[in-house]
Amino acid sequence: MNKRARMRLIGVTAIIAISVVAIVVGVGAGDGSYSRSVSEVVDDAGAVGERVRVTGTVVPGSWDKKSSPMRFDIRDEGASEGPQIAVVYHGGVPSTFGDEVTAIITGVVNTNGVLESEDMITKCPSKYESATGALTIADLLAEGEGVIGKSVRVTGYVANGSILPPGGAVRFVIADEGGSPSVDVFYDGALPEGMVDGSQVVLGGLLDEQGVFDAVNVSLSDTEQ
Amino acid sequence: MANLGNLFMGVALVAAFISIAALVWGRKLGAKEGEGLTNIGYLATYGVLAGVTASIAILTAAFFSEDFTFEYVAQHHSTDVSALAWLYKFAGVWAGREGSLLFWAWLLTMFAAYIAYKRMSITDELSNMSLAVLNFVQIFFLVALFIPLNNPFKLSPESWVGPGGELLIRGGMNPLLQHWAMTLHPPTLFIGYAGLAVPFAFAIGALIVNDSSKLWVEIVDRITVFSWLMLGIGIGLGSVWAYVVLGWGGYWAWDPVENASLLPWLTGVGLLHSFTVYKRRGGFKKWAVMMAVVSFVFVLLGTFITRSGVVQSVHAFQQDELSFWWFLAMMVGSLFAGLYGIVVRGESFKGADEFDSLTSKESSYYFNNVLMLVAAVVVAALTLSPAVGGKTYGPATFDAIARPVGILYVFIMAVCPLLMWRKTDGTLFWSKIKWPLLAAGVITAALAYLWWTMLWPIHLFTNPYANPLTSVTHTWEALIAFAVGALAVTVASSLFIVGARKRAEAKGEGFFGSLFHIITRARTQSGGYLTHLGMGIIIIGLVGSSMFVKDVRVSIDGQPGAEFEVGGFTFVFQGVEEQTLPNQDQVTRLNFDIYRDGQLTGTATPGQVQYSRQDQTRLDVSVIVEPLRDIFVVFEGTDQAGQIQMNVKINPLISWVWFGFAVTILGTGIAMWPRRQLPASA
Repeated sequence: MNKRARMRLIGVTAIIAISVVAIVVGVGAGDGSYSRSVSEVVDDAGAVGERVRVTGTVVPGSWDKKSSPMRFDIRDEGASEGPQIAVVYHGGVPSTFGDEVTAIITGVVNTNGVLESEDMITKCPSKYESATGALTIADLLAEGEGVIGKSVRVTGYVANGSILPPGGAVRFVIADEGGSPSVDVFYDGALPEGMVDGSQVVLGGLLDEQGVFDAVNVSLSDTEQ
Repeated sequence: MANLGNLFMGVALVAAFISIAALVWGRKLGAKEGEGLTNIGYLATYGVLAGVTASIAILTAAFFSEDFTFEYVAQHHSTDVSALAWLYKFAGVWAGREGSLLFWAWLLTMFAAYIAYKRMSITDELSNMSLAVLNFVQIFFLVALFIPLNNPFKLSPESWVGPGGELLIRGGMNPLLQHWAMTLHPPTLFIGYAGLAVPFAFAIGALIVNDSSKLWVEIVDRITVFSWLMLGIGIGLGSVWAYVVLGWGGYWAWDPVENASLLPWLTGVGLLHSFTVYKRRGGFKKWAVMMAVVSFVFVLLGTFITRSGVVQSVHAFQQDELSFWWFLAMMVGSLFAGLYGIVVRGESFKGADEFDSLTSKESSYYFNNVLMLVAAVVVAALTLSPAVGGKTYGPATFDAIARPVGILYVFIMAVCPLLMWRKTDGTLFWSKIKWPLLAAGVITAALAYLWWTMLWPIHLFTNPYANPLTSVTHTWEALIAFAVGALAVTVASSLFIVGARKRAEAKGEGFFGSLFHIITRARTQSGGYLTHLGMGIIIIGLVGSSMFVKDVRVSIDGQPGAEFEVGGFTFVFQGVEEQTLPNQDQVTRLNFDIYRDGQLTGTATPGQVQYSRQDQTRLDVSVIVEPLRDIFVVFEGTDQAGQIQMNVKINPLISWVWFGFAVTILGTGIAMWPRRQLPASA
């Protein structure tokens, strides 16, 4: 083995390794982003100007797909209230984007506290939802006629043997703990995976005049997790 | 039936244990006395094959009979009603977390059984121990399959299935996967993954029996080329699928799972070239062992990333702590076994490496390995960074590394075949390279013209103040990449021309007869050159299609006659076709006539499919393919005001990527074509 050639070889190898590390450090400083929650970004004044990767839930009704760039608000994943961040998004809108969708947004927080982003990934809506604040069946029925046709959230347990294929007038029946009172549920969408007899579910929708609950979305209660 | 599946996996597991015990014990007794036991070890390998084959047959049958008592079938059965429906029934087997692991284990048993079949008449110590290692790896996979989240034979909850066996919940194969490329992408990738266990097993086997001869390399080198080829095809098909199905117009996003498939491919390049030096010069012995081990560890890393939930990815399955520790243990164990072996056997695996000069062929192989290893390690580190509390890196960082490393790599790849062992003679080198260099200069000039007239204006469109002289990436990197790509093409071409001409002169044959002879006889070499040529074309295509994409969003009235103009094409809206398939899926298709300079040149029919059972939308993209660019047309939806939202992308030179990819596959295919005879014992 030629000693000089060997030294040169090691030298060139070192140059390659150092250059690659230099590129990673140089470019990565401007491009890489730390993962932050919505409340962390809101609470941290130092976050302004920093590149962050924020995971949050899209606030229902806060967006308009037509506007360009698109604006919308996000809040912490799973929370139904609490701090929000406004997002201005300058990219193609994923087809899965919508209310309550979990979005992972990478961008820079500007001095107005707005997250400017060109990079968004959406995850499918979580199948779990908190039952906090949802009416029980007894509460719902006690509201009387006044609640008919109004959008409400209710929670209950799936009655044994009540789940039927989609297409019928009743998809399943939910009841309060103990089995009564109960209400028939109409729903044609996809049931959450893992929903079985006795599962606690959280429904969004409205009670119609026939006393059937027209569900718009069906999630498992997060206690089922 | 589902329980029977578990039973057969259990049988396979027991057979794997028996095989290892018999092989190890047989070795202890010695070649003569232990022969009976060793034979049992080989036969038990077929037992593993039989058990896993029975399991996967049960699962496949369940997909064909739509047996929804299998939870896995309920969740992953295809709802497709097209002519390809039968194909998607097969695809269901590998469409999810559980089935894909079983599929992988099954491929591994096929490789192990193939080795057993080939080496049974020889039963040399090296093959015996390597087979034991393969079955040891198999045990890890089989045990992982019994972890509940990974088990494909779980029963559905009773409420899921009606009395007539009908499915009561909404579920089924992800519609994005119901595409022809997606039926082929996972199996090819998994064949590559499983196949890379073979060089790993023989590397460890060679360390165990302390045999540093080239025997192990000769046994596994074709399987390794085959596996690397399959891995490449799998990556390529995944890119094609991403391009035509996901609707974002790209084909590579540096997603963690994409990266995971790239890592063993990169180190696989190093492994194959180390094998060449090992066989021809008796050098690079530790490199070969190390690259075999590292490639296999990167294969495991892919599984680890998708199954442990450590990194967020579009591909990721549900998080599972047990799988996390199990696959982590597998990776650390494999790496440790390799490193420990290299240290302990350091003396005998010292190769006859001669580095006499920086411009020798040895050096170029060495830098090939260094670049591939550095690239793989950096990509792995960036990918895993968020898992250990670090930053998440986007495409900008990956691109910033991939471009210079890729350029340097293609340059080395281009000139390597012209270099000489030990020391390259300058005059001789010049005489070989001068014509290819001239030809490359001409091609580069043509590409530079293309850059100035077609690519740079696209860059200006998004960056109006960009200066062509000071843009490091979009001018200098682009042009240098064109130049090295052209050089790779011309050098490889010249090797074929010069070789054929020399042979024609010596043998008095015609030029094309000689060329044919070179390609079909000297397969490893000519296949390698062809692969180099394909890589040269790919890098040229990558410059255009990854750096200079024009992205335009327009909205038009939903009335026939509405039109918009992009990239010299006028799209005139003709109307909408809506259709409900028998499975309740809603298909929407927009018809556009396309005019160029007032002449009707074709039609585009972008659309969307609303999948009923899965409650999901898929974009059906319309692509107009031209030699120098694709026009990529996406229908994004209709807004409340009835305006049609369109997204049109112009992707320059993207066909060059697919074409170069095809040339690379052809080259590697030629290189791996089997010899007539396998090596006997050393």
